[in-house]
Amino acid sequence: MMFLRHNNTTTRLVFLLLSGILLLFIVAPLLGLFFSTSLPDLFETIKDTDVQGSIGLTLGVSALFTLLAGFFALPLAYIMARKEFRGKAFIQGLIDIPIVLPHSAAGIAVLGFISRDSALGRLADIMGLNLVGSPFAIGVAMAFVSVPFLINAARDGFQAVPERLEQAARSLGASPFRVFRQVSLPLAKPSVITGLVLMFARGMSEFGAVVIVAYHPMTTPVLIFDRFNSFGLDYARPVAVLFIIICILVFMALRLLGRKKSNL
Amino acid sequence: MLSCTDLEYKAGSFHLEDFSLELKQGDYCALLGPSGSGKTVILELIAGLRTLKKGSIFIDGKDCTLLPPQRRPVGILFQDYALFPHMSVYKNIAWPLEIRKIKKNEIKETVISFASDLNIERFLDRMPGSLSGGEKQRVALARTLVVHPKVLLLDEPLSALDAPLRDQSALLLKKVSQTGITILHVTHDQAEVSSLANRQVTIGS
Repeated sequence: MMFLRHNNTTTRLVFLLLSGILLLFIVAPLLGLFFSTSLPDLFETIKDTDVQGSIGLTLGVSALFTLLAGFFALPLAYIMARKEFRGKAFIQGLIDIPIVLPHSAAGIAVLGFISRDSALGRLADIMGLNLVGSPFAIGVAMAFVSVPFLINAARDGFQAVPERLEQAARSLGASPFRVFRQVSLPLAKPSVITGLVLMFARGMSEFGAVVIVAYHPMTTPVLIFDRFNSFGLDYARPVAVLFIIICILVFMALRLLGRKKSNL
Repeated sequence: MLSCTDLEYKAGSFHLEDFSLELKQGDYCALLGPSGSGKTVILELIAGLRTLKKGSIFIDGKDCTLLPPQRRPVGILFQDYALFPHMSVYKNIAWPLEIRKIKKNEIKETVISFASDLNIERFLDRMPGSLSGGEKQRVALARTLVVHPKVLLLDEPLSALDAPLRDQSALLLKKVSQTGITILHVTHDQAEVSSLANRQVTIGS
């Protein structure tokens, strides 16, 4: 008995120690970043119109393309949750490809898709638009690398909805679309909201793919890199701190909103 | 009223073939058979929730074989009741009427009338998760009956209930059957339907 208790305590201590080291590994660089930034520098950065513009662009484009992607991703997630078909594993692999690709390579792929040599690029050219270096290019790059998070979270959510409820709804007179809208989607809502938040987060923090399709206009991750590259660490640090604070505030707000909505 | 002819269905190792059934209006038919014999599958075929390989289903003289579930005049009461957990009891019962674009005040009248008949009036504002098995069953029954289906399919409606509740529920089903609706009641327990059914069909495993 004594041995067991002793063993139990040792295990707990070792686990606590290992967990603590890992948490420190996450928190220490962030704390270091915060402590080495002075408040006057931070306030100066807040007033910087380039920084304001880039934060607005980053949040706006990521939010817009997350919502746009949702329109296509939710039906796909539903099909992946509900239907069995030949090639399903292949389609799932396809969905996950952007997660495993190096993001600079993803950027090159997206660039090929929107450049003037592509069908889409030529079409835009006829209308007098150049997609490369546009907010559209930024949005496509963000969506490309982040949409698997939405699809997979929503798929898990739909899978957790008992199929019986959908069958009951059909036999009560509902069309498949009404069943989706009024039964499946509301019940999968917490997972769908998590997916949207994850996609939005992943999209706004994207650097590798975005920098290849659009150095200008600058998203905040590109701006941070640009200031670091051109002027050094001290100049990049306040922008990084400000962007981290805004990210944390946005996610806290979204989480709270999601929790409130799913409690209704 | 309900005419199933030579139904055939196959899924994996399960194979149902040559199943036929003829019910007249007002019949209360017990469909008996051991677990895994395909009783529930037959209900789901009649409700249109599974696709037949062969055979035909006519309800009230109308060929329903290829109709989607939402266009069949059939109500089904599932063994686990399948109440929508995100809707109140009122909303659960009102939902099939809302789909049919019935006016709000008519919906309210109908829901209250059915709730009063089934003695669930006091639960209307509650969420299904807070109800007992017997209460859930009455809500599910109200939700199914509110649109006046011609055929009512019952999947083991009494097996999940305790003994006293089972008698109450059987009495309720008897009352429902006296309204002239055609009922097909799936069960593995012959004693359960002895006082209810005027017909019996047994399928093997």
